[in-house]
Amino acid sequence: MIKRIAAALTAAVTLMLCACGDEATVHEQNETTEITLSWWGNDTRNEYTMAAVERFEKKYPDIKVKCSYSEWSGYEARSRVQMMSNTEADVMQINVGWLSQYSADGAGYYDIEKLSEYVDLSNFSSEILEYGRRNGVLNAIPIAMNAETVYINKTVYEKYGLDVPKTWDDFFAAAKVMSKDGVYPISGANKSMWLFIIAYAEQQTGKQFFDENGKIAFDANDLKLMLEFYNRLVKEKVIPKIEDYNRLCIDNGEYAGTVAWVSDAINYNKAAMDNGYEIVCAPYPTDSTHKEGDGWYAKPATLYAISRNTEHPKEAAQLLDFMLNSPEWAELQGVEKGIPISAAGRKHLDDIGQLSGLQYEASLVMEQNDNISPMNSTIENTTLIDAFVAACDLLLFDKASADDAAKELYNNYKEGGFTA
Amino acid sequence: MSKKKNDKTSLRHIRHLQFFMIAGYALIVIIALVIVTRLAVRKTDEVLKNKVTSLTSSLGVQMKLNMDSYLSRMETIGTLAFGEENAYTYDATDPNNDEYEALGKEKLITDKLFSLCIMENFVDYGIVYRNNRMVGKISNATQSLFGDKMFDEMSAMIKRPRTNDGWATGYKNDFRRIYYVKKVHDNAVLVISFYAHELDSVFDNPETLKDMEIRLVNQDYNILYSEDTDEVGNPLPDKIKSRVMGQTSASVMDDEYMVSVNSCDEWYVICSIPTEIILGEKNEMTRYIYITGGVAALAAALVGLYLSYLITKPVKRIVSNLDDKARIDLLTGILNKLTFEEYAANIISGSLTNEKRALITIDIDNFKNVNDTFGHAAGDKVLQNMGRILRDSFSDDDYVGRIGGDEFCVLVNARMSEAEGFEEFIDKKCSELCEALRNGLAAYEGMEVSASVGAALFPEDGVTFVDLYAASDKALYTAKETGKNKYSIYNSTRDKGGSV
Repeated sequence: MIKRIAAALTAAVTLMLCACGDEATVHEQNETTEITLSWWGNDTRNEYTMAAVERFEKKYPDIKVKCSYSEWSGYEARSRVQMMSNTEADVMQINVGWLSQYSADGAGYYDIEKLSEYVDLSNFSSEILEYGRRNGVLNAIPIAMNAETVYINKTVYEKYGLDVPKTWDDFFAAAKVMSKDGVYPISGANKSMWLFIIAYAEQQTGKQFFDENGKIAFDANDLKLMLEFYNRLVKEKVIPKIEDYNRLCIDNGEYAGTVAWVSDAINYNKAAMDNGYEIVCAPYPTDSTHKEGDGWYAKPATLYAISRNTEHPKEAAQLLDFMLNSPEWAELQGVEKGIPISAAGRKHLDDIGQLSGLQYEASLVMEQNDNISPMNSTIENTTLIDAFVAACDLLLFDKASADDAAKELYNNYKEGGFTA
Repeated sequence: MSKKKNDKTSLRHIRHLQFFMIAGYALIVIIALVIVTRLAVRKTDEVLKNKVTSLTSSLGVQMKLNMDSYLSRMETIGTLAFGEENAYTYDATDPNNDEYEALGKEKLITDKLFSLCIMENFVDYGIVYRNNRMVGKISNATQSLFGDKMFDEMSAMIKRPRTNDGWATGYKNDFRRIYYVKKVHDNAVLVISFYAHELDSVFDNPETLKDMEIRLVNQDYNILYSEDTDEVGNPLPDKIKSRVMGQTSASVMDDEYMVSVNSCDEWYVICSIPTEIILGEKNEMTRYIYITGGVAALAAALVGLYLSYLITKPVKRIVSNLDDKARIDLLTGILNKLTFEEYAANIISGSLTNEKRALITIDIDNFKNVNDTFGHAAGDKVLQNMGRILRDSFSDDDYVGRIGGDEFCVLVNARMSEAEGFEEFIDKKCSELCEALRNGLAAYEGMEVSASVGAALFPEDGVTFVDLYAASDKALYTAKETGKNKYSIYNSTRDKGGSV
């Protein structure tokens, strides 16, 4: 009996040892869901956004966010390529104009209301959400309201014995005393100057640039007015040429004023303020016959949308909610994109004392002006702006007369289907 | 007499032998297992270290390849800029440029650069001219960083004469961007930059090596990139640097760190991880080996014990039989003369005078006539009956032996309860013995055979076996002389007897 037990035990031990050697080794990796996020912006925005993404990944360790970002001009072109090739990011920062461009019927972006389980929409009024709707579908959520605003280096103006400019003529008058020192009274990048000149032209012509159907209502004569105004601005050294615009010249007062978005108030002027200059928000320029704000436009600063093709709508919505409503994101973003529309985001910034300073003042100038019109997104179309700058150069460098340049520009717009 | 008692002495040697055999076996097994276990641990350490070093080294090489691939892609994009003729023919510093035409050329170059970089997370992608005119996209951060020294500082980053390009970061201790610069012509350099943060995806190590620290350092071992952004710009920690300094492609593992280094153009990708983390499983494995060795030793000991039992069991039986044969009178089944005398002498010599013992001697009357009349077979039967009657009449504490052809002897050992009245006990015992002999000694029905019994008491009648046997024999003689078939107890002053 004992022999049998011993034999059985020996066999069992042998089998056990043999079995140990044959066992397959399995190591399970933690599965993470990768979603993509794209935005445009400058260094500051890029850095805080990546830091905020790290906070999100810490809160949701099973989600990994791959970032894609660039400056505005590059981003716009990249976004077009991605939207056309169905390779757009899961969550993306979009411009308001893209809603009509890519989602005429509301099917171009994900219907965010289907994800309301994850995105707290109660922080947004129905009026605000309307900016993100196409054909009744909630395609995007606005982050903040935005408008081109005039920022004046009060220190430089006072140095020349000038007050903060209020009218167009004030700028020309300022140029007369500043230009001898190479100082420009006002400046702006191509889109800012484009909107600056449109505001002037609308006041002068009494017409709006777009009609109610979103078509250009200006004729060749109106465009000629714009070209000549630009020509005069450059030649009388009110502004630098658009091609010569160098934002760093704001820092040392070489540009005594600049036109920029509310959301760019700090971005553009911080270095100058650090250098001891007093920067203030000027009234929207006008002439004696128009109200302040006429000819100027406001829009949602930017919006966040979710790709219609996303394979991870839940995770994308969680990120979207984190970006819009979480204190963690709001704290890092501050007012960089403007004053947040999200009630939760705004409250948090108020709680931590960030609702102050130049950016906040610029927001108030915009929000408190009843004459600013809602912006038609087509006005930001790069094609329109590039063609305008090219026509301006024709006139500026005597390659064409104002009439010819204006006619060529009008025909250009007409061929592009932008006119009525 | 007890057979077990007899076995004890004889088997003691076997037990000793068995003990030493088991002890020796256990010692050999333990020594063998210790040697095997230590060899296994050492070999496991060696194999594990080699494997970990190999795998970690592979990871380091993979990181270097990732980095090479990433940088190569940037360089390719930079090279593709030369696909636009204006990129290398246009010179913004030429005073003879027509301003309007120059703007047109700059736009062409800008469009080309935009189209090349459209899908990249570049911070800068443009051309900087000697007069610091910029075409394409040069970020405000880069402009602020280099100021009016942009062209000169960018040109100074060109280190590779063959391709007229180079990589750099850390200008004014700013490591946030990594710059690629390529000479376009004497008055222009192409600049591409990306955030160092982008290298997170290049150096994204597997989850199993999440504790691995991956750094990019320059030739002075200053950190250009690290997941821990706080240490960027600082020198590589000495504990890491000392292990790989002077090496361009190597992996080093010691008790503290596993470090690998791989050169990447003029930079080094350095991966490091504390040995205790990467070999954390080693201690567990060593413990497992020791536990396995211990279990194997226990199993071997149990198997050894069982095998020892199997081996010694038949030997014990054989030895026990042989021992019995040497001590026992085969015909009667009681001790033979030598054994009895040895045992009895030992017991008596070791007894104290307050102990009570008795030596009883029995002799078959006229046994020669039995053999002559009934044959030797009948005589043997009578002797066998004598052995049986003696074994039945006395306890296992008493010694019973055959000390002559028809003469037998019993050493009665007193129990404490019988110390008082021992003589009466012996007297009664002799009487009962005589009765038993009378009834059971005959080989056949009707056969007449008797025996005489003599007894002497210890210590009264002698304190040695010789003296006690002489006294007992004298008492037997008395019984014989007084008519046989009876018993007699020795008394030096009176002669006591009785018929059987």
